[in-house]
Amino acid sequence: MYDLIIIGGGPAGVAAGIYASRKKINALLVTKFFGGEWISSDKIENFIGFKAISGLDLAKTLEEQLRSQPEPIAVKDGITVSSIKKIEGGFEVADSGENTYQAKNILLALGSGYKKLDVPGGKEFEGKGIFYCSTCDAPLMKGKNVAVIGAGNSGLEAAIDLLPYASEINILQYNDVIKGDAIYQEKLKADPKVKIITNAVTKEVLGSDFVSGLKYTDANTNEEKTLEVSGVFVEIGYKPNTDLIKGLVKLDERGHIIVDHKTFQSSEKGIWAAGDMADGLYNQFTTAMGDAVNAVLNIYETLKVK
Amino acid sequence: MAKVTIYSTPTCPYCEMAKEYFKKNNVEFQNFDVSADEKAAREMIEKSHQMGVPVIDIEGTIIVGFDRPSIDKALGIK
Repeated sequence: MYDLIIIGGGPAGVAAGIYASRKKINALLVTKFFGGEWISSDKIENFIGFKAISGLDLAKTLEEQLRSQPEPIAVKDGITVSSIKKIEGGFEVADSGENTYQAKNILLALGSGYKKLDVPGGKEFEGKGIFYCSTCDAPLMKGKNVAVIGAGNSGLEAAIDLLPYASEINILQYNDVIKGDAIYQEKLKADPKVKIITNAVTKEVLGSDFVSGLKYTDANTNEEKTLEVSGVFVEIGYKPNTDLIKGLVKLDERGHIIVDHKTFQSSEKGIWAAGDMADGLYNQFTTAMGDAVNAVLNIYETLKVK
Repeated sequence: MAKVTIYSTPTCPYCEMAKEYFKKNNVEFQNFDVSADEKAAREMIEKSHQMGVPVIDIEGTIIVGFDRPSIDKALGIK
């Protein structure tokens, strides 16, 4: 049985792994891959210590720093955790390959994932015209009409990713507040193929094998409208990846794990959480890493006492 | 050695991760850039019945996304 299993290979998970290595905690880190949803960002400018770095390079740098510790903890990547349950003296983590790992403590650092489009057709057409990674899939929209749902920074960035490819870009915002940065708005408004539609509430994604349209209503007039589009890029925010531990620990109303903000321990003794999964007010690289370091140092103290 | 094909776009980090994983494991692969090659794009959609990248074809086993457990299984990587 390990003293600690860290679940997740983003900034929080790696920070925890490095501190666990330095403290010589008998620990294992499991992750699907190193990085997070931000890996598709081509320029990150708020990771302190780098003026600018791409998501992919940041993920590689994090992994390298963990693996090059003088005495690194055990690391398994390519692992999808399927369940976590309580056992005598600790917890058992199972993966999709039916391997199990046991530990006295679990540190959850799975971050957050895209909020999915919850309308008829939303699930059915995922990958068939509905996309969540504009950096990846924008090049497939050459000469096509598309919709981007959400006009925050992520939505506007998606629209910018689409500029060289799509022939018409409709940005839909459910209210009349365009939250995305002015610099992005100016760039998009200057391009005649971009249309920003406010008060547009998405109702349905239409199509047969692939997406062919999108139905929305005007929130002011309740009038129903249809756009003929082949692609729908969804950027409506993020939600914590806490489905896995529902019932095991207390969550707040937004689905975040309620932790003690001095120790980062959850309502269940031995389960700790850091980063986007925890109920902090801000989801930043550096705050996530801080949470994780605090958690590991506290875990180290509890292990010493026993 | 298994015949491995990857359909990708130049901007997609998951495609990059998949290619690097093949290189690390000495797996030879053929890459098609579906943003530039329309024939390959059609082939990818026919094989996977969807449009997201990457799509990986390992001897006829079609994997959507950089899904390591499925890739390991198809290639026999332990």
